[in-house]
This record gives sequence, structure tokens and C-alpha cells, in this order.
Amino acid sequence: MKILAVVPAYNEEECLEGTVSSLQNTCPEVDCLIVNDGSKDSTWDVVRRNGFNGACLPINTGLTSAFKTGMKYALRHDYDAVVQFDADGQHLPAYIPVMAHELEEQGAAMVIASRYLDGTVKPSGARGAGSRLITFLIKLTTGAKITDPTSGMRMYNREMIRLFSTAFDLAPEPDMVALVARRYGKVVEIQATMQERQGGESYLKLGNVIKYMSRTCLSILMSRFLR
Amino acid sequence: MLPVYLRVLLVLGALFALVVVGRQVKKEKILVEDAVFWVVLAAIFVILAVFPDLAIVLAHNLGFMSASNFVYLAIIVLLLWKVFTNSGEISRLKTKVNELAQEIALAHMDEKEKPEDDR
Repeated sequence: MKILAVVPAYNEEECLEGTVSSLQNTCPEVDCLIVNDGSKDSTWDVVRRNGFNGACLPINTGLTSAFKTGMKYALRHDYDAVVQFDADGQHLPAYIPVMAHELEEQGAAMVIASRYLDGTVKPSGARGAGSRLITFLIKLTTGAKITDPTSGMRMYNREMIRLFSTAFDLAPEPDMVALVARRYGKVVEIQATMQERQGGESYLKLGNVIKYMSRTCLSILMSRFLR
Repeated sequence: MLPVYLRVLLVLGALFALVVVGRQVKKEKILVEDAVFWVVLAAIFVILAVFPDLAIVLAHNLGFMSASNFVYLAIIVLLLWKVFTNSGEISRLKTKVNELAQEIALAHMDEKEKPEDDR
């Protein structure tokens, strides 16, 4: 099974090297593509200095477009699966083989690395409340039970790679999970733990959380009727 | 009945708008195909200023309290529609720019893969 890890990177000079090195050491059979999304810092230098496999977007286009670049690469180089992997070191590469196994075994369209699947860790704080609300909305609109819809570590099968490369409006975000569960196939979760980010700044600051969550919830509801 | 000085003001305003639009076209700041909307809008204002009875009769027949209410509503609807179509056009432009950026990034990779002898 040919697997590609797509690592979108925007101003991630601090943690990119550590993240990709640990990815390559833990899973040498998994190919890696870093998509530099028009970073203003030395992210691209880090890629070149280490000889990493990287694509460099000439302008900052956002996570969705950066990820789409990776999906197009995967489609053109005939990969069987793509795993969406954060550059900040939150995601642990050890779970990639587990996800791949599950993807094949279950014939799933997508596998999500969930922090909350076995129930030992509960979503907490403002983000936790938002996460529960999204879980509830997905259950309501699709019937699928997704314990961790905001997890950024997701693996996609061939059909999803094709879909992402060609779709007009498909973002690697929780609302897409709902759309996939309803229209394109099975969404499976595996239990995983995640680390605190190793450096740089998170996009999800408290002010943004409310904006992000309400946008996502509305999008899930709109998708239910329009897509 | 619309006072004469207001009608003159309306005509002058519409003519001024026409001049502004024309100048932007000439300076290549807007495509002719996009300027058409504004030219037609200005022309409608001129017609309304010259024949205000058009708006008054139409408003009366549709049951509006006054012609100005009707004219305001019509303009607001028109502008909302214009803003919405602009939104759609911006969406499509965004997508196209992103698409181009992605293809540039991927094409650069292919370039590097082929010749092994860079420096």
C-alpha cells in the first residue's frame, strides 16, 4: 500500500524539521510531501536544507488549497492513501500504519485518529464544547458517530484523493467529515493520543474558536440540504 | 411632483457617474463588459429624472405610499443582487488563483525531478 503523508506548512520553521524527521524514522515506508504555503519565515529553507520532498506555493493560499496541492500530487503519483499530518508535531506518526490497516480492513473512505474514541479522555474547554456540538450535528445529519471530528489527523482512500483533487469546494475540515459520511463512504476512527504543539503559534486561539465552530456547524447544516 | 432643481441634480449626478465610469474604462481600470452595468444604471437615472412620472405611476400602481419608497427599494434590491454576484465572482477568482498556485508548485517539482544535474 503506497501511502503519502501530506504536511501543509505555513510559517513552521521551528518544528517542521523535528516533525518530518520523526515521521521518516518511525515510518520509513511512508512517503512525505511538505507543502509550503507561501511561508514568510524560513520554512522552505528547512525543507531544502534537509532534502525533504516539498512543494512550494508561490503565495499563501490557505490550508485547504495547500492540502489540495498534496492531493493532486498523490493522484498524479498514484498513491493508495493520503494521511493529513500537521507540521507542528501534534500528530504521532506511529498511528499511520494503524490507520492504513483500518482503511484497508474496513474499506473505509476515511480514517480519523480520535483522541476521544475509548472515552478515557473527554473533550474539555471551549474547543471541547464545540467538538461535542459538531459530533452531535454529524450524528443528527448523517447518523455516523464521530467522536473527534476536529482531529486534524485523517487518512483518505483513493476515491477521496480523486475527489479532493477535483472538487470545487472541499476542505480538510470537520464539515467535510459530515459530507463524506453522508455521501461518499464509511468514516472510521481509531484511538490515538496527540501531543502539545512543539512550537509556533496555533491558529485556534480562543477568539477564533467561536468563529470556527459556528462556521463549521452552519456549514454542516447547509451541506445537509444543499450538497 | 419632483421639483425641477432635484431633477437637474439627478441628471447632473448621473452624467458625473457616466464620466467617472468612462474615465476608468479609458484608464484600463475596469473592463468594458463590467462597466456596462454602471452605464445602464446611470442611464436609468437620467430617464427617471427626465420622466419622473414613470416612477410615480409605477409606484402608485404597485401600491407604494410614495414614489421615493419604490425607487429606494428598487435600487437596494439591484445593489444587493450586484453584491451577491460579485461575491460569487470573487469565489471563482479565488479558486482560480489557488488552482494556478498549486499547479506552479507542482510544475516546479517536476522540473527538479527531471534534470539530476542542478549545480
